[in-house]
Amino acid sequence: MLSASVVVSALGQPACYGGLPDNAPGGTDGTHTGTEANDAEADGSADGGTDTEGEVVGQCGEPITGPSTLRRLTNAQYRRTVRDLLGVNEIVSRNFAPDELSGSFKSNGTAPVGEIQVEQYMDAAESIASDAVVNLATLLPCDPATDGEDDCAEQFVRTVGQRAYRRPLEEFEVEGLMGAYVGGKTAGNFADGIRVALQSMLQSPFFLYHVELGASGGPLAEGQITPLTGFELASRLSYFLWDTMPDTTLFDAAEAGSLTTEAGLEAQIDRMLSDGRAAESIASFHLQWVGADEIESLEKNPAVYSSFTPQLAQAMKDETAAFANWVITDQDGRLETLLTSSVAVTEDPALLELYGVVPDPTHVIGEPHPLDPSQRAGLLTHASLLASHAHADQSSPVHRGVLLRENFLCTQLPPPPMDADNVPPDPKPGATTRERFAEHTSNPACAGCHVLIDGLGFGLEGYDGIGAHRAMEEGNPVDVSGEIVGTTDIDGPFQGGVELARRLASSEQVRDCVAEQWFHYALGRATTQDDACTREKMTEAFISSDQNIRELIKSIVLSDSFRFRATENN
Amino acid sequence: MRREPAFFEHTLRSKRFNRAFSRRALLRSLGAGAAVAPFLPLLNSHAAPGDFEPRLLLLFSANGTIHENWVPTGTTDDFELSPILAPLAPYKDQLIVVDGLTKTGSGPGDSHQRGIGMLWSGNELLSGTQFPTGDNNSSCGWGGGITIDQAIANDVGTETAYKSLEFGVRTGGADVLARQSYAGSNQPIAPEDNPALMFERLFGGLDVDDSALLKRKAERKSVIDVVRGDLDRLRGKYSADDQLKVEAHLEAIRAIEVRNELAVPTCEVPQLDLAFDPQATENYPEVSRRQIDLLVMAFACELTRVASLQWSRAASNLRLPWTGVEDAHHELSHRGDSDQSMIDKITTINTWYAGEVAYLLERLASVPEGDGTMLDNTIVVWGNELARGNSHGGDPIPFVIAGGGAGVMQPGRFLRYDNASHHRLLVSLAHAMGVDSIQSFGNTDPSTGPLSGLLA
Repeated sequence: MLSASVVVSALGQPACYGGLPDNAPGGTDGTHTGTEANDAEADGSADGGTDTEGEVVGQCGEPITGPSTLRRLTNAQYRRTVRDLLGVNEIVSRNFAPDELSGSFKSNGTAPVGEIQVEQYMDAAESIASDAVVNLATLLPCDPATDGEDDCAEQFVRTVGQRAYRRPLEEFEVEGLMGAYVGGKTAGNFADGIRVALQSMLQSPFFLYHVELGASGGPLAEGQITPLTGFELASRLSYFLWDTMPDTTLFDAAEAGSLTTEAGLEAQIDRMLSDGRAAESIASFHLQWVGADEIESLEKNPAVYSSFTPQLAQAMKDETAAFANWVITDQDGRLETLLTSSVAVTEDPALLELYGVVPDPTHVIGEPHPLDPSQRAGLLTHASLLASHAHADQSSPVHRGVLLRENFLCTQLPPPPMDADNVPPDPKPGATTRERFAEHTSNPACAGCHVLIDGLGFGLEGYDGIGAHRAMEEGNPVDVSGEIVGTTDIDGPFQGGVELARRLASSEQVRDCVAEQWFHYALGRATTQDDACTREKMTEAFISSDQNIRELIKSIVLSDSFRFRATENN
Repeated sequence: MRREPAFFEHTLRSKRFNRAFSRRALLRSLGAGAAVAPFLPLLNSHAAPGDFEPRLLLLFSANGTIHENWVPTGTTDDFELSPILAPLAPYKDQLIVVDGLTKTGSGPGDSHQRGIGMLWSGNELLSGTQFPTGDNNSSCGWGGGITIDQAIANDVGTETAYKSLEFGVRTGGADVLARQSYAGSNQPIAPEDNPALMFERLFGGLDVDDSALLKRKAERKSVIDVVRGDLDRLRGKYSADDQLKVEAHLEAIRAIEVRNELAVPTCEVPQLDLAFDPQATENYPEVSRRQIDLLVMAFACELTRVASLQWSRAASNLRLPWTGVEDAHHELSHRGDSDQSMIDKITTINTWYAGEVAYLLERLASVPEGDGTMLDNTIVVWGNELARGNSHGGDPIPFVIAGGGAGVMQPGRFLRYDNASHHRLLVSLAHAMGVDSIQSFGNTDPSTGPLSGLLA
């Protein structure tokens, strides 16, 4: 739809567009939007009818998106952005206050900063800049001895500044940064001036936040929508696919205006997904999605799980990251593969032991180890996931059930009665976890929700609190029977984690939920009903590619929700 | 009274400290023994009774208590401390144990989330999808209003380098469970969990010579000009909540700018051994002690009059194996009352926290002020998000108050209330700190006025 060449000025569109600033970077931003709307109307290709929420979705040609908020870089994004901006591996950002979450994903989009965070940014900037000017010649694009100090400083401000702000600088911004340079130089020397200018860039909101004002460049009225500029798209794309700032190629594409065409965007997606940096983002998504990204802070009772060391925890995390990349980059990229492959992509001896793997003598380091297919199937049976959703001294059918409900089935459960007594059953020696939690479903006050949760979690009772497979618990054989209820398409009893994983892999509800999770990761927010057209497009791409996650990613980038901005006016 | 900026006047004098106070005494008082270099608020001769303004310090530990092992026995003025509060016995005359306060209000969130979010604010949590709840699979947002420490700090904090300071001990991720202090609705304040970084923040400017300090201040001013200019240009480009983010960032920059122009603190640089991993389980007691040391230093140096210290977070699932309890705290607290080992272990954990409070009181009491000590001029309030971990109720919250509050607190009492609202305590704290304009607090306050019988 987007490839048609008709160009209609956004200013000519109904009031839902913000209009273009006179000097929008990239020049052509916004001009395609009318094209999209016109095409949809002209060829009638938009799906008509009503979706499950009762929205009329017949106007999917008209750009529409849910509201986005002003977000700060996550701590990981900060770290990688500094790395890619200056070529230094800074460690100061590990001192930052922790990131907020949106859903399961790190996204600093709700709470404003407080003094302490701004001080942390100041301290980090001072430390990073001090380190950077030690190798002044590497940092500078010029030689102050031949070009003159002030001229060279200006070149530095212009080149590094636009990469730090992730867009071309306005002239008065160059002047402001040169003011900082002069301030530093006056109190010290040339290197001090460069350092102070760099400190300023690193503390600017244009560095610290994802500033996405859109082509309109200002506040939006209720119902108003504006296309992102080419540079804003470059950043969205880069932080989605790489979890870091754009590279030169992407900046050049923004400058040339090619990110405002579907073909131009697609070319970047393909290029970026095959770049090594994509591995970091793919790892981030999966670890956060399955709730295993902070596994190193898990508390396990050493009297029960003596093998659970920080090294093993890290190996579990690394395995999930490597496995997801193996599926998406090296294998067919299909959701089913992700959810059902019986392999371990790790060389960690302790983790292989936990999985019961005795490495084959012919094993090639780096190749996946085959796992017992009757015990392990895909992400669901990863030790990282199972250990993260368990108690310190035992498994937790409830925690595991809740994870599957929320992050794999995207179910919002009704709250329990106000007078529900949440005291869990006392441990009874000789009783299995399942027996102790039986009251959840025998007591009608609890059963309403717990029948939705526990039936999933009970099926994972074949894995202990750190994810090791087990046949016995407290001297009793483990019962791994579970039941899925309340789904659109996979209800029914099942036996164990492997069958559960296969069932999940066959579900349309799971497919749509995975798409929702990717959207949430990409944009730092959940979908709203104004994202219905984007959801529809994602689903279509996912289905038509036989559930290829790479195609899902592509469809998100090409969607209205990714390419436009609206705000909540409250 | 605001001090004149005097950038390098390391020897700036404070009115508070008694000339008779010896260097060696403070050295001892600051805890790390021979490793501590001179760390001295410099002394002045004019302190007199009544010269001191009270300080406020809020403390939080998690998962409720075992009331029967917490509540003292006896009468208001003649009481015996319980097993849990036994470590506080040396400071019994400085305590007010408050039983029978109820936390009113419900709203979004589970009992742990509401518990910490409402403890000092009296405000319901915001509704929202941000935080899933632990026991009912619905969700909530951040806290819905300012907390009493911040409301007080807005009033009394204008003459100190920091309006308030927030200390944490392994508080974990940015979550509604991990924030006891709010600058306003949807404005959680992150505590600093790392004593080494808190040290840098408070005292990092003191170990360089005058010309280096002057240079850094000038550089920071240049940087602040750029950052403020960039933020100013974003004002008005956003609406509603996003606009608030820009304003909050600007406000923080302004506070840093003011601090950049203030005199350096009237202290010499303390030396503490802070080279340890503040996130390691085994270092938790060490982090707690050093944060307390720094907190007392910050008060002694007049860097602030309002602070808070948060041990872990609501629904804390940390293990505290040095107490002899291997179990994870939150999971342990869920077990039924029929499990005597739960009763014993939760009692042990809470007794350990009481020992940390005792250490804090010891530190405060070791800094002389006027004819007494800093403890006489401080109000310490120790709260919890729950009454009891397994029932998840909020009645009664186990509040312990310590310190004389510069004459307003009349410590050495055991006060029993019959389900009085904890909002009354919040109002009393405002009054004790001289903020009389606050008569009710939070959107769930059922009444007005202070807690009867608390303040002198």
